[in-house]
Amino acid sequence: MAKSAGSSKSNQKITTSSTAEYFAKNLQQVGFSSQTKAILTTLKESVDNALDACEEAGVLPEVSVFVEKIGAGSIKNSDQVRVRVEDNGPGIDPEDVPKVFGEYLASSKFGRGRCSRGQQGIGISAATTWAQLTTASGARVITKTANMRKAVSCTIEVDIKHNKGVVKDKETIDWNRAQGTSVEFLVDGRIQLNGEAGLLNYLNATTLVNPHLTLHYKLPELERQTIARVSEQIPEIPDAVEPHPHTMKLGEFIAHSHLFGRVSASAWLKKGFSRVHEGVLSELVKGGTKRAVLEKSVDALNETEFKALFVAIQNMKLMAPSTRSVLSIGEDAMAKSIQRLGAVDFYSVVSRKPAICDFKPVQVEVAVARLEDRSVEADSHVQVLRFANRVPLQFDKSACAIVHAIESVNWRAYGLGQSKSSLPFGPYIIAVSVVSPFIKFKNASKETVDASDELVEEIRRALIQAGQKLSKHLRREVKANELEEKLKHIEQFCPILVQGVCNILKAPASRKKRAEEGLLKILGRDTHLAKKELDAAHAVLEQQESEKQTAFDLEQE
Amino acid sequence: MAKAFVEDRIPNLSRELCDRLLSDLEKAKRPVLYATKCSLDNALYNPKVGYLTPGKKKVATELNVSSVKKMSRTIFMLEVILRNIDSGAVNTKRELYYIAKGDIKHNPRLKPLDFADQGESDEIIDFICEMLECYREELNCFANDRGGQTYSQQLVVTETLTDGGKAVIDLSKLGTSPFQPKNRPQSLKLSARKPIDFCLIVESEGTANTLVANGFTKRHNCILLGAQGVPSNAVRGWCKLIQDQLKVPLYFFGDLDAYTMQNIFRTLKAGSAASLIRNSDFSAPDVKFLGVLPEDIKKYELNDYPVKENDAQEVRALKKAADALKNDPFFQDKRNKGLAQILKWLLENKRRCEQQAYFSVDPKDPTMPEKIIIEKIKRGNFV
Repeated sequence: MAKSAGSSKSNQKITTSSTAEYFAKNLQQVGFSSQTKAILTTLKESVDNALDACEEAGVLPEVSVFVEKIGAGSIKNSDQVRVRVEDNGPGIDPEDVPKVFGEYLASSKFGRGRCSRGQQGIGISAATTWAQLTTASGARVITKTANMRKAVSCTIEVDIKHNKGVVKDKETIDWNRAQGTSVEFLVDGRIQLNGEAGLLNYLNATTLVNPHLTLHYKLPELERQTIARVSEQIPEIPDAVEPHPHTMKLGEFIAHSHLFGRVSASAWLKKGFSRVHEGVLSELVKGGTKRAVLEKSVDALNETEFKALFVAIQNMKLMAPSTRSVLSIGEDAMAKSIQRLGAVDFYSVVSRKPAICDFKPVQVEVAVARLEDRSVEADSHVQVLRFANRVPLQFDKSACAIVHAIESVNWRAYGLGQSKSSLPFGPYIIAVSVVSPFIKFKNASKETVDASDELVEEIRRALIQAGQKLSKHLRREVKANELEEKLKHIEQFCPILVQGVCNILKAPASRKKRAEEGLLKILGRDTHLAKKELDAAHAVLEQQESEKQTAFDLEQE
Repeated sequence: MAKAFVEDRIPNLSRELCDRLLSDLEKAKRPVLYATKCSLDNALYNPKVGYLTPGKKKVATELNVSSVKKMSRTIFMLEVILRNIDSGAVNTKRELYYIAKGDIKHNPRLKPLDFADQGESDEIIDFICEMLECYREELNCFANDRGGQTYSQQLVVTETLTDGGKAVIDLSKLGTSPFQPKNRPQSLKLSARKPIDFCLIVESEGTANTLVANGFTKRHNCILLGAQGVPSNAVRGWCKLIQDQLKVPLYFFGDLDAYTMQNIFRTLKAGSAASLIRNSDFSAPDVKFLGVLPEDIKKYELNDYPVKENDAQEVRALKKAADALKNDPFFQDKRNKGLAQILKWLLENKRRCEQQAYFSVDPKDPTMPEKIIIEKIKRGNFV
């Protein structure tokens, strides 16, 4: 619309805006759409950056979070809130500090095809912008790399006009730690601690999918808390693999060729893409692509030739992309981590093998936990924790692939209450993590994973496996209760029966004693039998489960 | 006194059972209680005997975790009943329920046996009856039920009272009051001032009263009694007593429908599958079905009407009739072919006709039903 404004009626000039200007005007698109969300997003972006930095450097993360209310905010009905996040990561080179905190789309990860939390380099700059807009202060950063004797402390602001980070009040200070980064924002907003979109939920969820994280936090009205790590293993973020031709559009295909300079088209295809090898090229030739085109240098190919090549490859059947690039939390780590959520009396964890959904490698991991606290109302829905690349998703639940998948499972079969096509009920937490180098989010604030049929089905399978484990446990519990009931029953009625019979017969005490002993023997055999039956049933069940799993795995392969 | 009737049979049987149970327990052997299976698949019908008798099938209750409660309750209730028999006390089922609850209240050790409602204690009393093959009156447990309202100008009843005294009741001296005996047929002795020609059992007590009011019993030497719908034990025992002691023909006059045929007339004549163990004393095999018969509808132009689809009781009875024709030994027996044919007619035509339809034959003559009944008896127009 703006571009068509050059009609006769208007003399307005057509101007271009910087990326920073765009985001400064549209902060709601990146998670600053309400006062409570603003605080959560600021915290989330800071923690994501801290965790990514630690993992990249191979450091076990120890992150400290401080959130406190300072006073009234400048926005109506808001508070001024200080959000500070400190990590023990590698620190940032002082030259890069303004880029990291004050420049949009300045990222070390953009389009690299790795499973990092941050991808585009928008979030933390947006937080700086929000601080700047609401409290006229930027991000206060202290950072120190292992090579530095002193730490650098400075304030970063965003030069909105030119999308540049501006350094202010830079000084070197003594900092009593070997390396790390501390970032502090003074922002307007409102603190929401509890509920699905609360800070506590975010922090708990973050610890669940980051078993290697030690988290200290101090939130308003709460004591300082420390959640210690349960795993000493730093997740290794697999290297990115070359793109798969079927995930590209023509423009991307051509642009990709420019990265390779003067090499033959066939060398470019083999080097620059995954799943393209000599056999594929022979197929291309058989399919009508001229050998000469493949021998030509890529920078000499014209648009028609590119298009013909692109279409020919799109129409070929290629192997699905490799799943090597996805990262897994792992069942063991999840199992340990889930116990950090609070009093959990049973959990089942499923880590699926990496799979391909919509031509992108994806790994789905699921944890279902039952809370010891059964005080929740019977008809209240289970608590759902959603994660994309190990970042909790807390908004816009209904449109998310994860929620769609949970609703599509028949939880009644696993012993949970559920209305048709809705979330199940009960004191449970269902946590679903989707990890992929290319997660399709529905918006820039990364709140919802797009619900494609293939992804929903993959998540659904993981949930079904977790549900089966859960129902096995519930059945075992019911059986155990029944056995206990039986024993109680016997203890209650035996003496009454014997006494009654002796009363009618006026039998002597010796007969009564013998009968009581005999009765216990008889009914003791009963409970013994019940125990045996129980064990036999479990054995059969386990065998069936393992057979089912093997069949399922074979089918997958 | 009741004690006199049961003599020592029940206490002896109970002690035998308990002794067997205790001996088994002493040997750590799982005791089993056997009870007669009271259901149609264990019912035998021999026309010479005249009523449904139990077959050989028994329900075995072996002591295990799930039956220990029932067994304990059974022994506890048996103790209560034996105490009653010993003292001569008589109770209803509901009273026994409260007595049991009282015992439990005063002895906390018995708390696990407590009955949540009367249904639970009734079930135990019935189980004891099936186990000892007796009826509950033998356990001094009486229903609050009496034989149907009975009228006669000839019948004299001599009742042995609980204190051993005798009471003589001359029914002709009761005016418009009916005689309704308690359900203790063993204590009644019947005699007739004049020979009695027949006994008419009318399904509807109202219609029985109308017939009497219109002078039926004055004009005929008979006994007339109302069956109160489905006959209770007392009505059944009373009819059996009339049959055995007076040896007069018995006629049943009721509706022409599947429910009456199966639930009322069959029960009166041959007993029921649920009461297999007491049919011998509670059925009158000589009773005949006087009507309404299918041919009466045409003959007397009676008002009949189709079975309504929303009449659940009748629809269910028709369904049951189809089953009875295949499985019920009573209707399968060739001596009861006439009754089976009526059931078939009802199934085929899906129509019913009530006993009161006789009043439509000549509305101006209130004695018309009486005339038809007498005519049918004289002509042998019954099944």
